[in-house]
Amino acid sequence: MRTPDLLRLPLVGRFFRWRYSRFVLQVPLLLVALLALYDGFMGRQLAPKNFATVSVWLHYRGFLVLAIAVLGNLFCAACPMMLVRGPTRFAKRFLPEFKWPRALRNKYFVIALTLFYLFAYEYWDLWASPWLTAWLILGYFGVAFVVDALFPEGTFCKYVCPLGNFNFTLSTVSPTQIAARDPEVCLRCEGKYCVNGRVETPSGRKTLKEAPNAEGLRFPGCETKLYVPQIQSNMDCTLCMNCVRACPYDNVAWKLRAPGTEAAWARYKIDVVWLGVLLFFAGFMNAFAMVPPYYQLAERLSELLGTRNEALLLSTIFVLWTGLGLFLTLGVAMLADRVSGVRASPLKAVRFWGTGFFPLAFAMWAGHYAFHFLTGWASIIPVTQQALLNLGLPVGEPDWTLAALVPENWLYPLQVGILYLGLLAASYVLFRRARERNHFLAGGIVFTYFFLLVALALWVLAQPMEMRGTLLLPQ
Amino acid sequence: MRRLFLLALVLLSACRPKTGEPLEAEVRFVPEHPTVGKAEICIEVDPRLELTRVEVVGDMTHAGMIPVEDEAHPAGPGLWRVDAFDFNMRGDWVLTITAYDKQGKKYVKEVRLTVP
Ligand code: SF4
Ligand code: SF4
Repeated sequence: MRTPDLLRLPLVGRFFRWRYSRFVLQVPLLLVALLALYDGFMGRQLAPKNFATVSVWLHYRGFLVLAIAVLGNLFCAACPMMLVRGPTRFAKRFLPEFKWPRALRNKYFVIALTLFYLFAYEYWDLWASPWLTAWLILGYFGVAFVVDALFPEGTFCKYVCPLGNFNFTLSTVSPTQIAARDPEVCLRCEGKYCVNGRVETPSGRKTLKEAPNAEGLRFPGCETKLYVPQIQSNMDCTLCMNCVRACPYDNVAWKLRAPGTEAAWARYKIDVVWLGVLLFFAGFMNAFAMVPPYYQLAERLSELLGTRNEALLLSTIFVLWTGLGLFLTLGVAMLADRVSGVRASPLKAVRFWGTGFFPLAFAMWAGHYAFHFLTGWASIIPVTQQALLNLGLPVGEPDWTLAALVPENWLYPLQVGILYLGLLAASYVLFRRARERNHFLAGGIVFTYFFLLVALALWVLAQPMEMRGTLLLPQ
Repeated sequence: MRRLFLLALVLLSACRPKTGEPLEAEVRFVPEHPTVGKAEICIEVDPRLELTRVEVVGDMTHAGMIPVEDEAHPAGPGLWRVDAFDFNMRGDWVLTITAYDKQGKKYVKEVRLTVP
């Protein structure tokens, strides 16, 4: 049976082959970012009543996981940050271009940035401050501009952007993927245009790699250097559809696939696996930081260490929790390896079994974001009205009682459902891997570990919410 | 150019919206430190202000939370009271007290508190 290809659908294929399709997707998000900047700096500094905080911390995150679950990494496709490309192309004429250091051509730098971002999120209460949220957006555009101007295109998305890498990791569960329609055509393809880019010059077709300055109709290739016939994973795919436009043989498909199963066969590098593992534990921490036991733990730790320094306490909790998570994962993966009779290195063990964390990481974040999104979905209407009113547009008085999308008592069952689905997908990944080894007990060991983590996550999500900016109560 | 940019930064960082005249008021709670549940809010203003309406809106500092809205009733000269304001969740709260005088002039005061 042929795999369904979304690009074969009427209009969809035509739209994505159109060279301005990405720009059309980016413009609405650019307008959202501009309004968020305006309201974040000029509007009332109250998170639930400001467009910056509501759009970024509620809707952006909510739609992001929804899009990933239903279709794919659409938010990278529509990322307005890549609109800096015009100005950076101009700036590149005057600036030298550097190569991204070899030592950083992996996910460890992004892991460090993600950890810093999560720390900053809690320490400076970014979620509670429209002003800081606006600075975050502005800073993000600034960094994208600098990196894109000084380094090859695609560097920012692949090696720097914590948000993009978050999207890449979670989109490993998505039900779609870019693939070659017919691998035979690729074997005969002379230019590998999907990755090298294509330029139609008066003297014939060339790749952008061999003729970067040639005149003619230009179709850039994959900026994150994915070669279509070899793509096994959504990791690093921004769904920019450059490959679709660059391939002269119309041989690129946006195929449907079984959601949540990619990690069963994809061979990720160890840095990518660590990113998946870390995102699960970070997602857990992000939810845990909103419930009373977290604050009790902080008080205890404060007494134990004899300090009320929030940065120190927060870093300690962060390091202890993520460190414990990574350490336990290493131990369980090694145990599973030993049980299945494999004597590989600890990192190889994590590389083999840790992929199960990808669907679990998605479920953890989706469960948490779904709560916020569904409790406050409709609040985007009054905050947009308020922001537009501030701009002087006649849009009527905001109704601040608009908020919830679903009854509150549905939320926990929904979160349980999402986490169970994540566990189900993770168990598929684990037992497929166990079957490779012909040793189901090994898969069972890792599954038990996952089961306990999910039980702990459900306990956290069952706690009453506490939305507090300070770690310790004033004495 | 650099100066312009710096000026823009200073202006942006200095921006704080104006929502009404500041309301000079003393705000007390009963119990003194409210916990999750109902609490009384007493708002004491200069009696010469001749207020006609006082509203209290409670927001949490996280986006997406439905605000709690209540209206204070007069309880003596310059004293307004909300009998049972519903602090329905633990965390940081921002109370916005909006008062209107006979001429319809609006006064606003913001009170921040943590509900443990
Ligand atoms: S996808 Fe297209 S451009 Fe890429 S190798 Fe295959 S035929 Fe060539
Ligand atoms: S060009 Fe690369 S990043 Fe863009 S859709 Fe194709 S494979 Fe994904």
